Amino acid sequence: MIFENIYDIIAFILSSAGILQRMQSYSDALGIPIAPKLIIILVESALLLVGVALMVMFLTWMERKVLGHAQARLGPMITWYHGLLQPIVDGVKLLSKEDLMPRRADKWLFFIAPMIAFVPALLVFIPIPFGCCGAIISDLPMGILYVMAVSAISPIGILIGGWASDNKYSLLGALRAAAQDLSYEIPMVLTIIGIVLITGSLSLQEIVEFQDKIWFVFLQPLGFIIFLVAAIAEMSRIPFDLHESESEFVAGFFTEYSGMKFAFFFLAEYAHLFGIAAIMTTLYFGGWHGPMIPMIPPIITSIVWFTLKVLVIIFFTMWLRATVPRVRVDQILDIGWKVMLPLALFNVFITGLLVAGGVL
Amino acid sequence: MARTEEYQLNVGPVHPSTHGVLRFLLTMEGETIKDVEMIIGQLHRGIEKIAESRSYLQFIPYTDRLDYISGMTNNYGFTKAVEDLAGITVPKKAEYLRVFVMELNRIVNHLVCIGSLLLDLGAATMIIYGFRERHKILELFESLSGARMTFNYIRPGGVRGDIPEGFIDKAKAFLRDMPKRLDDYAQLINENEIVLMRMKGIGMLSPEDAINYGVTGPMLRGSGVSYDIRKDDPYSVYEELDFKACTRPECDTYARYIVRMDEMYESLYIAEQALDRIEHLGGPVKAHFPRIFTPPEGEVYSRIEAPKGELGFYIVSDGSTRPYRVKIRSPPFCSLQALPQMVEGLKIPDLVATFGIVDIALGDVDR
Amino acid sequence: MSIQSELKTRFGDAVIETYLQKDGKPGLVLKPEALLEICNFLHDSGFDHLSLISGTDYVERMEVVYHIWSYARKENIVLKVKLDRENPVVDSVTAVWRGANWMERETYDLVGIEFKGHPDLRRILLPDPWDGHPLRRDYDMSVDQYVYIDENGKDVVTQDASKILREEALDGKN
Repeated sequence: MIFENIYDIIAFILSSAGILQRMQSYSDALGIPIAPKLIIILVESALLLVGVALMVMFLTWMERKVLGHAQARLGPMITWYHGLLQPIVDGVKLLSKEDLMPRRADKWLFFIAPMIAFVPALLVFIPIPFGCCGAIISDLPMGILYVMAVSAISPIGILIGGWASDNKYSLLGALRAAAQDLSYEIPMVLTIIGIVLITGSLSLQEIVEFQDKIWFVFLQPLGFIIFLVAAIAEMSRIPFDLHESESEFVAGFFTEYSGMKFAFFFLAEYAHLFGIAAIMTTLYFGGWHGPMIPMIPPIITSIVWFTLKVLVIIFFTMWLRATVPRVRVDQILDIGWKVMLPLALFNVFITGLLVAGGVL
Repeated sequence: MARTEEYQLNVGPVHPSTHGVLRFLLTMEGETIKDVEMIIGQLHRGIEKIAESRSYLQFIPYTDRLDYISGMTNNYGFTKAVEDLAGITVPKKAEYLRVFVMELNRIVNHLVCIGSLLLDLGAATMIIYGFRERHKILELFESLSGARMTFNYIRPGGVRGDIPEGFIDKAKAFLRDMPKRLDDYAQLINENEIVLMRMKGIGMLSPEDAINYGVTGPMLRGSGVSYDIRKDDPYSVYEELDFKACTRPECDTYARYIVRMDEMYESLYIAEQALDRIEHLGGPVKAHFPRIFTPPEGEVYSRIEAPKGELGFYIVSDGSTRPYRVKIRSPPFCSLQALPQMVEGLKIPDLVATFGIVDIALGDVDR
Repeated sequence: MSIQSELKTRFGDAVIETYLQKDGKPGLVLKPEALLEICNFLHDSGFDHLSLISGTDYVERMEVVYHIWSYARKENIVLKVKLDRENPVVDSVTAVWRGANWMERETYDLVGIEFKGHPDLRRILLPDPWDGHPLRRDYDMSVDQYVYIDENGKDVVTQDASKILREEALDGKN
């Protein structure tokens, strides 16, 4: 039996295990309608959560390995094969650490800030198509707008964390983060308008399907460059990692965080990295499109293609980190407002002309 | 108009970019630095006081711990003062060995300085490359002196011992390999757009101010003053060697960085010449130096060009076995004073960059 | 004409004696009152690099030694003033060489020589309330001094080690 759709696969597994039928009987007994679709989406979300968590763990390991080899050393080597289990060891270490809180911190805000930063980083994945055949939680009709809106929440968590810590380093780091995220969100959204003008749809699924023949990176080269720079700033990677800038503000906004709260900021950062790389893949590199291999179900090949593209982008950011220093705070804002914004507007203008002229 | 209030920001003594236990008290307006107050002394060990109760030979290990990155030059600074005091002549081979290790030590120092500067700027790679080369040099030092950081190698009358077997080959292999590595690093950093953005025009110090503040070494040469004690007030066998003082006129952080880069090439060149002579010179590496050494009464002040600048030892001898007074002129102690002027009106990231190239070792500042 | 004899002729009365240091550097012993004037003159005639200020306690007197170098003339000159040990005060040369600032502070800190006209004469290496000047000959090294930071953030020096231990224990309890 060949499944064409993830939805079908999950439905098949659930019904053969008898879970769907049992839920149906519960809902009948309680008189509350529970659609099987809802349960399947829940299962899908759980799968996504596990996938993202695994990916984040892998990324922390990969970061160390890539940096290590770029810097003529080995990186983690002790835990299992080439240190692959390092993220788990780190996790255990962070869990067993004392959870410190500054005496004069705003306790409630200090507590919720990591969550506010972490949750949006996960929510971003909802409308992203990971593969063909319905490997998507929900194909929102205005998916790209949703993604931008949700990823704009993370800086609020950072700002709250910086404010609540009652530490000047944290506050300055958080203010920098807010300023930087604001200035780069705008060119980022403007470049996306270029894509939306061409496809005529906000749905990420449709944007991916549009790139069946040619990727947007070739149709929108200027837009891609702007998006790439803005994305690196949004991911807060070197050369734009002013959130942390450890040589100036110790650890930026999470200077005072320790233990699991710190881990949440840490995970949020890597989830964000993964999220933005996934969006970039979706928008500019044809999403899950790639040569299909016979004998292997397309759903698997498409997910593999998607993951590979994401990893290449992430590898690029890590490579960048090993190569260049950090940009200064006023320079970063200058680049954002004086270079990126006009270029992004120019890109929209050109794209608009070409679309109106019927070229694209 | 929005009104901003000045506030104080404490940086250090435990902070990633203060290179030790230096403490800054910054008066800030937004992210702009209005004033810098430096609080030093957390690493004060009273080395000058210790000197008064040690014999001349016993004090040499303490000099290793002044500027712990370049112990060889510190050894030599004190040794030279003692030799000046007692009028000891040193065998030629020992002098060339001293020059050889001091120039390699200069490379070590500059590699650490540039590496940690770039680490502060956010590029973590250079420091590890730098430490890789440093490791090779330290291995050479280890085969000479038995230690990797606290050498105690250069002593009044000569050096600790002759070169071990195979040393010349190892040193030659290193000298052959190193210029290529330096070219690599220059390629990685020199024309890097962000490095230029961060270092050009930052931390300006005019030649007049630099001289007035007593700034010396690469910092001064980066301000366009061609002054190198090895050239202008020669000591040891530097007069017999061919090299030039590296100078840049731009007066900014980038100029100081380039001076350091150039100096590493120059040091390699000097080391090559010195090694060549070591290979062909025979004879002892140590003149007679009495175990119980009583120098004549008097005062002496000797300066050498340490990697960080002018290192001076002022010794007052009362004719006994122990110095009556030792005063150390440490280069970063003087250079650091110019920092407030260099960073006024700049941002915190610029403070980090400017401070990084001043190249301090707190062991030397606090003594 | 060497700078040594030039100074001798120009400031005849102020120069008490001329001497040569053991390493051949020409030196002058000056009257403390004339120091600032002579330094100004030296600076104007090209001796622009103040290499070192060093204070020494000779039990019966104090000495402050200035090693000055000229970048243009490539010449050394050593100035020395002898001070009364009970009241060691000398003019500050910070106005001539700004680099003298920390060197004078250090000399004040460790040797206890006061520099009149210094803009900010505080201890630099040791904490402010430190008792005594360590590089003086009569400094009692058998007395331990411990430093801790009180609740106002000020350095406090005590000779009682248990004081610090108790503070740390209290911190642990909080």
